[in-house]
Amino acid sequence: MLDRAVTYDLLWDSAECRVVDESQRWIITAMQRYGHELVTLLWRILGNEQDVCDAYQTIFLRLAHHDGGQKPRRVRAYLFRTASNTAISVLRRRLAERKMLSGMQREARECEGHDASFDGRHLAESLRRHLAQLPEHLRNVVTLRDFGELSYREVARIMGISVGTARVYRCKAVQVLAEWMNEEGES
Amino acid sequence: MRLLTREKMAGRRRQDKPTSGRRPTMRSRLRESLCAKLGSEARWVQRHVAHCPTCRRRLVASGKVDLALSVVKSQCQRLDLPMRANACAVRMLNHALREAAEARGLERTTAEPSLIERCGKYESVLTSVAACVAILFLTKTGLFSSLDRARAQGREVMKQYYSSQAGEDLASEIFEI
Repeated sequence: MLDRAVTYDLLWDSAECRVVDESQRWIITAMQRYGHELVTLLWRILGNEQDVCDAYQTIFLRLAHHDGGQKPRRVRAYLFRTASNTAISVLRRRLAERKMLSGMQREARECEGHDASFDGRHLAESLRRHLAQLPEHLRNVVTLRDFGELSYREVARIMGISVGTARVYRCKAVQVLAEWMNEEGES
Repeated sequence: MRLLTREKMAGRRRQDKPTSGRRPTMRSRLRESLCAKLGSEARWVQRHVAHCPTCRRRLVASGKVDLALSVVKSQCQRLDLPMRANACAVRMLNHALREAAEARGLERTTAEPSLIERCGKYESVLTSVAACVAILFLTKTGLFSSLDRARAQGREVMKQYYSSQAGEDLASEIFEI
């Protein structure tokens, strides 16, 4: 009797597990469909492979646990929004860690006689640093539009704003970034 | 002073999707006209910028941001990065999903250049071939001979006009050179 109960229990568990698996197969589909775009977006924001892998993992983990494993209504929008937010969190954490080491780096740079001419890597890092400080609405537009290469229409849909507002936000973001980067350059 | 930079114009160009036959042309004409009148390459803008330190500073700063964005976009990722990212993400899924054929496939995915990027190296060859084909087509359809004929007839008409107005000698002197 007990044996039979245990067997039924196991069968039930197995059936339930299969149902969950089938119901979560859309995660794999989302990964297949949007994986490349997301990796590119993350790479452009973070510029570090390990951080990209970590952020990517976090995004899909959040997706799998969204609303108790329910599929979001708009998966693409959810993924891009989460990707942008996750990447910025990772970027901020990395910047905070770097800040601690900045004194040592400055000394090292002074010893090397750092060249002030065009340095692409330095410019990209400066952009990422300032991007992390932008207000959320401006930052999201820049990341989705410039790094994710989405159209303004898609950006507007993801952010729940109008296309015109998305354009205005991007313009404003570029102005703010320009001001900050210029101040940094002058100082 | 607010300028329409080349990046913004290019962005708008990318954004617009044709919805009907006429609209894109109208839009592009309007855009070109606006760019010519208000863009950073407009003469009055350049004259102004040359004498205005504030605008010069702003233009340099926004150019710096555009440059930084281009630099970030041009930094290539390693081809196996999607594969590694997928492998990390798949590892977090439950066992049955992890073992699914699609998930296995994801772990072997590499970044593949798009068709346009792959064909990029053949661009000049393709352009030359297209130009040759176009010339052949025009020759076949007789467009070049029609043009020659039209030119000869035009010349004849002009010669007749000069003969009647300025005299035969002068006309033949002009048109025989």
